[in-house]
Amino acid sequence: MTEARDRSTQFETEALVHLDLLYGLALRLTGGDGARAEDLVQDTMLRAWRAWDGFQIGTNARAWLATILRNTFINEFRRRQRRPDPVAFDEIAERSVFAEIAEEDPEGGFFDRLVDDEVVAAIDELPEDFRVAVVLSDLEGLSYEEVSDAMGIPVGTVKSRLHRARRRLQRRLYSYAKEMGYVR
Amino acid sequence: MTDRPEDRADREGISCEEAVERVYEFLDGELDDGWMDRVREHVEICRRCTPHFNFERVFLDHIRGKGLRPEKSELLRKRIRAALDSE
Repeated sequence: MTEARDRSTQFETEALVHLDLLYGLALRLTGGDGARAEDLVQDTMLRAWRAWDGFQIGTNARAWLATILRNTFINEFRRRQRRPDPVAFDEIAERSVFAEIAEEDPEGGFFDRLVDDEVVAAIDELPEDFRVAVVLSDLEGLSYEEVSDAMGIPVGTVKSRLHRARRRLQRRLYSYAKEMGYVR
Repeated sequence: MTDRPEDRADREGISCEEAVERVYEFLDGELDDGWMDRVREHVEICRRCTPHFNFERVFLDHIRGKGLRPEKSELLRKRIRAALDSE
């Protein structure tokens, strides 16, 4: 087997196998924008291919690719962020749903009945600043410090964005649950 | 001598409000050691906060468990193979 063929086969089995997962991550970061997510994954794969010789086979390729994808997305995101994008939040979205549901379903059993489509749609609906914080923290498992570095915002801002974004998500999921009759 | 909020909290314990406003930082393990202990001590003995914190934990687990899923796109796969071939 030639060296080029070898490299290509290796890339296929180590990197391209993660395509669906990367596309899932790209869709959440872009709020369900299929065209933008596809471009993002393609850019990621091309960057990964060019940097492939520096990748250590046997280490976590999925994590390596996700980092490339995040960095690619964040660079574009930060360029666009120069335009001020004030996010309006209503008071009601700031309160935990718990107070309203404490008697009927204190253990949050209704969450079990929600399907991933509803969770994904609720994430996609968040304003971009808040959605990116949730995706990096909750879906990618980054620490506040890492989200702060990635997004170029102070740790205190990460905390408040996550707090508000999660409250908003929670309220959206609660509304779905009410619409579906899972709770009263 | 000044009485810092955390000194007072260590003597008297913290309020439900002080615990709940830190719920996500607590569940994320992002509070410093002093506040981690204060919130934990409060939640362990508070009949209102124990179920509230459990509820928030269940909520976060659901987001984390259901939010990220693989998505298929055969068109994208073809596009990427073509792009890689022309590299």
